[in-house]
Amino acid sequence: MTQSMTSSDAELLRLMVAGDEQAFTALYRRHQGFVYRFALLMSGRANIAEEVTQEVFLALLCKGRRYDPARGSLSAYLYGTARNQVLRLLERERPYVPLVEESDEGAAVPLAHLIAGDDPLSDCARNEAIKLVRQAVLALPARYREVIVLCDFLELSCAEAALALDCPVGTVNSRLHRGHALLLKKLRAAARLDPAAPDAQGLRCFA
Amino acid sequence: MNCQDFEKLALALARNRLLDAATRAQGLAHAGACERCAARLAEERVLLAGVRAVVVELAGEEAPARVAATLLAAFRAQTASAASPTVLPLPSQTRRWSSWKLAAVAAGILLLIAVTAIFWRSASSPKPPRDERAVLPAPFGAPDPQATPPKLVEPPVGRDQVVAKQPENQRKRVRRQVSRDNSDEAEVVTPFFPLREGEDLTALESLRLVRVELPGSALSEVGLPVDPETANEPVKADVVLGQDGLARAIRFVR
Repeated sequence: MTQSMTSSDAELLRLMVAGDEQAFTALYRRHQGFVYRFALLMSGRANIAEEVTQEVFLALLCKGRRYDPARGSLSAYLYGTARNQVLRLLERERPYVPLVEESDEGAAVPLAHLIAGDDPLSDCARNEAIKLVRQAVLALPARYREVIVLCDFLELSCAEAALALDCPVGTVNSRLHRGHALLLKKLRAAARLDPAAPDAQGLRCFA
Repeated sequence: MNCQDFEKLALALARNRLLDAATRAQGLAHAGACERCAARLAEERVLLAGVRAVVVELAGEEAPARVAATLLAAFRAQTASAASPTVLPLPSQTRRWSSWKLAAVAAGILLLIAVTAIFWRSASSPKPPRDERAVLPAPFGAPDPQATPPKLVEPPVGRDQVVAKQPENQRKRVRRQVSRDNSDEAEVVTPFFPLREGEDLTALESLRLVRVELPGSALSEVGLPVDPETANEPVKADVVLGQDGLARAIRFVR
């Protein structure tokens, strides 16, 4: 088992394809958390995250032998599968997906509260701010949301994200910038830091 | 460095990534001199702080144990079935197979409609009177003396008169009467199978019967058994068309 935990993904996958249950278990333990969190951040729904995780590893069971390590890491392969599954499920459940909750009058929280404080009130405000960030991410178009989730929340490099999303690194970079701009715009509007809610262009000073 | 250059670096500066020391120093110097760019950088940093807070909050989130149990069961089933040619009954595969089956059925129905439409067109073109023998009232449903009897046109030349009248809600075996001047063997036909559930065929002004050939696999579309060895061989079928040219019912002929 220890060997399974220290083996490379490629080696574990080879063993899994050969029928080694421990290898499959080790692969699952190693990657399921990331896949689950990716799906959770992309969809905002635990049931979708659960289904995506299951589908991703079922796909690995069925098509694992087709995985080519030369084309990218197993993580990128799994994220790519997860991304397709998330989009498919969101599309399927689109008529039933609840609207993102609008912040009511008392819920507007300045972004500055994201900085950790020492007192309980500060923690409360921070929790609200975290909720705001998650809602703002969910409100992003999928092409920006997936890049921000991979690069910011799961801390993949742009190159790894490009592999997972099967697109050029430049595309990932531009979507990351544009996604950040949109995210800030949404957060500013929600937190009412700037009542005028300028768009992303308004942030630039072009001096 | 101007503000446009800074804008390109703002994210990397906030993330402390992929910047050489000189570029980083230039960027920070610009932020020190430009209020708006300093605010822009501060905003990015606050946003990333929020992202990190979410990451910390979600750090313990994992798939429930039941997912692992399901996957392990699937893995064991796959391993057990590796020696046999049976397809692994995984949930995703089952769902995918169902989609394919659904698509195949839809394609079959479309093919049927297309074929019958072609025959409808050819039947609509001017033909000798023998092709236009109207013979039967309402082949489906109880006869309604008030209603105009639907016309049923016989299949093309050489076909015998069809007795297709059926009581409502009853699939009765339809027999084909052999005309005395025809030496061909009597054909055996199946009952008519409606292609549209719940449709009242007596409401249609006229019906037309056309003879077509379909792949043997079409038998399965109406629940009839198909011999895999002859699934690709053509089988004869009579299709009932409404006045709109759409297929309403089908029966197979041997």
